[in-house]
Amino acid sequence: MHVTHLKYITILIVMGLCASTAQAVKPPLNRDTLAEGRRIYEQACAWCHGIGGEGDGPAGWFIGRYSSPRPRNFVKDGYKLRSTASGELPTDQDLFKVITQGIPGVMPAYRSLNEQERWQVIAYLKSWNPAFEEEQPVPLTFPSGARGPTEAGIQNGRNLYVKYDCRVCHGDNGEGDGPEATAGHLRDTYELPIRATKLTDPSSFKNGASPQDMFRTLMTGMDGTPMPAYANEFAGQEEALWELVWYLRSLSGHEGS
Amino acid sequence: MPSRHAAIRAAITGLALLSGISALSVQPAQAIPAFARKYTLDCVACHTAPPRLNTFGERFLENGYQLPGTEDGGTTGKKSLGDLNLDDFANYTGVRLRGNVLRSHQFKQQNPPVAERGMVHNNSEFGFPEIFSLFTAGSLTKNIGFFAELESNLEESSTGIERAFMTFNNLGGNNLANIRVGRIDPSATFSFSTLRQQLEFVGESVHPSTNMVQRAGLFPLAASAKFYGLRNRSGSVISPYAPSLYNAVAETGIEVRGRPFGDWFMYQIGMLNGANETFGDSNRGKDVYGAVRFDYARTAHFSASLSGFAYLGNSNATVLTETGQADVNWHRYGIAAHVRYKMFDLYGMYTLDRIAHVPAAALASFDTSASGLSLALDTYVTNRTLLSLRYDHMDAGGDLSQRTSQSFAGFQLKQYLRSNVALFARTDLNLRRAEDGNAAARNLRHALFAGIDIAY
Repeated sequence: MHVTHLKYITILIVMGLCASTAQAVKPPLNRDTLAEGRRIYEQACAWCHGIGGEGDGPAGWFIGRYSSPRPRNFVKDGYKLRSTASGELPTDQDLFKVITQGIPGVMPAYRSLNEQERWQVIAYLKSWNPAFEEEQPVPLTFPSGARGPTEAGIQNGRNLYVKYDCRVCHGDNGEGDGPEATAGHLRDTYELPIRATKLTDPSSFKNGASPQDMFRTLMTGMDGTPMPAYANEFAGQEEALWELVWYLRSLSGHEGS
Repeated sequence: MPSRHAAIRAAITGLALLSGISALSVQPAQAIPAFARKYTLDCVACHTAPPRLNTFGERFLENGYQLPGTEDGGTTGKKSLGDLNLDDFANYTGVRLRGNVLRSHQFKQQNPPVAERGMVHNNSEFGFPEIFSLFTAGSLTKNIGFFAELESNLEESSTGIERAFMTFNNLGGNNLANIRVGRIDPSATFSFSTLRQQLEFVGESVHPSTNMVQRAGLFPLAASAKFYGLRNRSGSVISPYAPSLYNAVAETGIEVRGRPFGDWFMYQIGMLNGANETFGDSNRGKDVYGAVRFDYARTAHFSASLSGFAYLGNSNATVLTETGQADVNWHRYGIAAHVRYKMFDLYGMYTLDRIAHVPAAALASFDTSASGLSLALDTYVTNRTLLSLRYDHMDAGGDLSQRTSQSFAGFQLKQYLRSNVALFARTDLNLRRAEDGNAAARNLRHALFAGIDIAY
């Protein structure tokens, strides 16, 4: 009897997860979808990203002014926020996540577009970059941090933070005041100055602040910024990477997951 | 001219001090007033530099405080409580504190005849930020929004509701018709918005018994009343510097606007109780206005617009005659434009005012036309330093014995310590020749201000 209940609960959870990923309403890629995507894009997105998707909309300049980030250039730029390996294109789900959740400080969450509208916009903005037709982006696998944070793990995470020179940009205590940052040496691919993320302030994390988000960011890096991908360094040592995540979480007072 | 040199030295010292302070205090810009809090965005997502809006901010305003292209009123940032969707209080509410901590006025002639003793003389004085605004705004539900602003101005000893209105958006289709009803600022969506100026209004000084202007005001003169001796329906003199008619800070009425043919064209029509009406409608006649705006806002960090309006008054002012007050119709026509490219934001407006139905007996001493021109440029000279320039010109009308035209140029440096905290230093120079006598618009030679602007 208990096993049956467990099955029902599991099915409900899975259904809930499926609903939240919203793949079910993804429309077919055809002219109607692109036309509708264009209409929505021009009303909601073009102000910053530009009518041609080159990141040069009339409002976009003021977001960074003389510093990074500028609005994404969908025609030729790489993508910072991905679940794929460094240098690769993002998955559709990555794009959907950014549109849905926004980017703290610079891009609002467009939950007010219904899911179908968000997919239509994604289809339209992908049409600018032919690489999306040639490649099938594959997300990296992200094992869960099954063991959770421990005191020893957090200490080991601190050691990794030092070993991999995170402090050079993010500072000794994660305040974003490392020597490279304070010297103004950090630049994006446009040579615009860029700030090191203040790890003590999770609300400013552009790629999300959950442990899974942070693990993913460390694995994939943020292309176009000085933040490298650590997928190779931690290949086969995912548990160590989780310890680094727990340490980073501890900088903002989060002890658990 | 020792006083002039002293003022220039003071200005240089002030600017140097400002630069010094800001150099010591540069911090990451993260501060977020009400809408920014709601959408977790920095101020510059909507503003070139507060209070100026960028194109995204303009469309957000037009859409009734909903993200452009969406109808998010019912959802974004809100909690569902039964059939209610409520924001956190902080997401509805913001405050702004601004004003001068130092101001200096220099005159050609000290206390000229008829001026209030001690009022018009060279002086420099310390103060504290005198204008406090509390505003609450947002969307109640999908396509229904609201805005209310309570302002307290210590210098003018006034506290009250500045603007308060409801918005009903996207009626009949996307951006087809958007209604505002209440106490509204008609020029909010015009190419030149009265309230969105980097150089704040600096009030004139008026003699309490003669109503003569003693010290000229420093305003965007294209938006000002421009007439001397014009009175409202209760008989009080309307200051030639008071923002009025289509360019009023707030008047009570209703308006409809939309972009039915796409983003390139906007229409606006409205009806108000009348100019300078406080509460209610003293003559039951209504003022009407219409405006159109053509936009180019596409790419390469460039946007531009061209707007025109006509405002037709209906017994909305009075003039004094030998037999008493007589109603007149005060009209205004104007054109405005803005061009924005990267860090440059250039905007300007020309207005022409006409007064009709002036009694024949008063015409000999009353000029029925006036015009004004305001041109402004804001540009970032560093990531945190905003340079603003404004040229104002007024060909004044009204009472021939008082009217004096004026031209002023204003310069301001604003240093953003954070994106919502700025220090500024400003100087305004009279471009007209000095004259002896009573003309306030010529007697004030230059002014210097330093202050603070905080929004949270």
